[in-house]
Amino acid sequence: MKEYKVIGKSIRRLDAWEKSAGTGTFTTDIYLPGMLFGKVLRSPYPHARIKKIDTTKAEQLPGVEAVLCYKNSTRVIFNTSATMTTTVPPMKPVLDQYIFDNVVRYVGDEVAAVAAVNEKIAVQALELIEVEYEPLSAVYDAKQAMTSDALEIHSDCPAGKNIPGEIIHLEMGNLEQGFNESDLIFEEEFKLPIVKQVQMETQAAVAQVSIDGSITVYSTTQTPHPSAQILAHIFQLPVSKVRVLNPPYLGGGFGVRIGLSGKAEAIATELAMKTGKPVKVVYDRKEDFIASDTRHGGYVTVKLGLKNDGVFHALELKANLNTGAYCSFGVEAAGVLGAMGLSVYRIPHQVYHGHSTYTNCTPAGAMRGFGNPQAMFPIESVVDMAAERLGMDAKELRLKNIIKPGDKWVLPYPCKSSGLPECIEKGAREIGWNNRGKLNKPGDKIRRGIGMGVGTHVSNSWPFCVDFSNALVTIKSDGTIKVASGVVDMGTGTKTSLAQIAAETVGVYDMSKVSVTLADTESTPFEIGSHASRSCYTAGQAVYLAAQDARSQVLEYAADYLKERMEYLDIKDGVIYSGNEARISLAELTEYAHLHNKQFLGVGKVVPSNAPPWEAHFAEVEVDTETGQVRVIKLVAAHDVGKAIHPVIVEGQLEGGLVQGMGYALSEEIRYNDKGKQLHDGIHKYMLPTAEDIPEIKVILVEPHDPSGPYGAKGVGETSLVPTAPAITNAIYDAIGIRFKEIPVTEEKVFKALYK
Amino acid sequence: MNKKNVKFTLNGKPVTLTVSPSATLLDIIRDELKLTGTKKGCGKGECGACTVIMDGIAVNSCLVPIMKVAGCHVETIEGIGNKEKPHPVQEAFMDLGAIQCGFCTPGMIMSSKALLDKTPDPNREQIREAISGNICRCTGYVKIEAAVQAAADKVKEENSK
Repeated sequence: MKEYKVIGKSIRRLDAWEKSAGTGTFTTDIYLPGMLFGKVLRSPYPHARIKKIDTTKAEQLPGVEAVLCYKNSTRVIFNTSATMTTTVPPMKPVLDQYIFDNVVRYVGDEVAAVAAVNEKIAVQALELIEVEYEPLSAVYDAKQAMTSDALEIHSDCPAGKNIPGEIIHLEMGNLEQGFNESDLIFEEEFKLPIVKQVQMETQAAVAQVSIDGSITVYSTTQTPHPSAQILAHIFQLPVSKVRVLNPPYLGGGFGVRIGLSGKAEAIATELAMKTGKPVKVVYDRKEDFIASDTRHGGYVTVKLGLKNDGVFHALELKANLNTGAYCSFGVEAAGVLGAMGLSVYRIPHQVYHGHSTYTNCTPAGAMRGFGNPQAMFPIESVVDMAAERLGMDAKELRLKNIIKPGDKWVLPYPCKSSGLPECIEKGAREIGWNNRGKLNKPGDKIRRGIGMGVGTHVSNSWPFCVDFSNALVTIKSDGTIKVASGVVDMGTGTKTSLAQIAAETVGVYDMSKVSVTLADTESTPFEIGSHASRSCYTAGQAVYLAAQDARSQVLEYAADYLKERMEYLDIKDGVIYSGNEARISLAELTEYAHLHNKQFLGVGKVVPSNAPPWEAHFAEVEVDTETGQVRVIKLVAAHDVGKAIHPVIVEGQLEGGLVQGMGYALSEEIRYNDKGKQLHDGIHKYMLPTAEDIPEIKVILVEPHDPSGPYGAKGVGETSLVPTAPAITNAIYDAIGIRFKEIPVTEEKVFKALYK
Repeated sequence: MNKKNVKFTLNGKPVTLTVSPSATLLDIIRDELKLTGTKKGCGKGECGACTVIMDGIAVNSCLVPIMKVAGCHVETIEGIGNKEKPHPVQEAFMDLGAIQCGFCTPGMIMSSKALLDKTPDPNREQIREAISGNICRCTGYVKIEAAVQAAADKVKEENSK
């Protein structure tokens, strides 16, 4: 195998110094001359009609420059999610939102917005807006929202009452026959919580309108190009007149801003249009919690049929997800739940039937894992139940049934690689799997247990959604490299990984000679953006192709210049070689070329394939049987990541996701009271893990080559929390013999289960 | 509005400002002085992104009324290292992959620096306690904890030379 010079090396991140020095600019840091501050009035009701709204007093407050509500703002209907902007006919996008409407559908829904010379005055003005509401009945549960008692939250739902878009149906084999031929059948329903990304930088945008009508929006989006399309649609502008960019940093994402950031971009833009001045809208933490997309909670049912020897024979998976007041990613998340849930095990007869349902909760959209964690907690719980009933080791049962390359599955692309068996074996060794069931003595008050879960994911959203990338690699006149790609770096190391791909491919190994422009629609070609674990895999392929193109141009030019045959030439460490002989530095050649009217400009365009990453998670827990408290002692995450372009970045992705997965299993949840108010609307109330909660964590990278990705890389970003919750709940079962079918498994739930 | 004068030392230099007394230290640092390295993640003392060091103690600057800062020494992320010589904590964060999105990073570094200034040889519990008020949603804290440990080791090594 070829030895790489840059790929696979954990070099210092390109953004490290700016971020640790505090000089890296984020959207919330942008101050423009004459800038106004926008604030939003939000609904106190979960469902109501606005009978009357009077903004006169607010408009008269000195310092206020504009007040918007449904009466004087655009009435173009849209969807904040990126994929609904690129829906391919004959499919129809679900468009169900205005910036402001005369009906509010959840506590936090936008009623009005103010632009003022400072934030304080803007807040005062909100208090002067007089609104009369006619409350309507509300529903917060996905099952109840489908009953005859519930109101229609949106009319025009052809798939069923309060069901946005379509019902997803995936099928292989003959399910009825599959269950008839099964020796054992398990059927269980699981309940999933609403959880939040809690990325550190809240939703934000700064919009500026030029005299010629073009708009520039500094934004916290993960997808600048599709976000520009959404804004162009809302304001009926040519896309070429809308510039969306990160400036360049983004304080986390985890899916919460694939498309618009809440509605920050749209509100800031309309206020800027009204006032002719730049407007900054920054959600406070409570607004971020209650008025930007959550993960879908809801219900998932698993029915698994097996043969007596443990071979899986039939699987029926059903889901009803709570998508809240607006659809956002409600259709796609339900789709991914099924597609991923069906694609871990080789099962000849399988069906998935799933959808989202509107309720009067905060809209649910994309969050890391995108439906997949909601599939795998139920599935991996049932697999453990089956293993126990069969008297089989749960690890062996999984090894027996997992998909292998070449197996038939429901996905429309082939499985070309799987390192899952290796992940399972290595992870099991690390956790001490053989001790499972043997960790406790009779009478122990603190009981220990070990559990595992496995899963897969995607490396982009092809062929489910429009998914393609373009990139440019330019060799500058001094021989340095400039990469331009429209993906973002929300902390995921994209800037560094793309630079490594370009550097290795061109043949320049000094990373100080490589720089990257990301996340700006003005300076990068169209790119779907950073979601679906795709930036390194898919944008990476475009950068790879662009770098190859630039390299070929250099070599062709060098051949002519050096009077050599092109195939004898190579670029190594910024020097052009003929065989083993260094002939001319890239810097000298590019300088010469620029003086002779030539630039090497590589273009990369890719419609990607897809590749499954694989993961096995193991947990060891301690349960205090007197208090119900669960403490995770150790987490092991063994991941097939394809080739790790930058191992430390990959580890960081996995460690961070693993801890989010631990929160999902044990503590994180947004609950609602009977008035539709979110009870967990701030960081202190929302129990996410802090530094003091972190168990021993061991990450294991397994790197089988996948032919489709750049240098064999696969998607990584989301895999890290897919099977974490079931690994932990299966460990809890091992410890105390109680099977939880609802997460988070809080202290209170454990205590009640122990002493009911 | 009654504005008042306040004097304090910021990153080693004396400053005198005319401020609205209801402002917080964070408001002044970010909105008036435009030192945007200190981040605002919640405005309620719940996330630690706005951590600065005040008279040797790491504080959430969003909870400190500006008039309380009179006469104090305040350090922000902009004041602890420079291009030629990053602070050892900054260096360790860069080298050990402790930085992802970077939004918690300045506050996290300030909490860590405050710890090492007082406790040059911290144990694991002390490190965790020192950063327990700083939320990071990207890293799972694993590489951050390792970086603080590495910075402590480096400071110790430099001091023993």
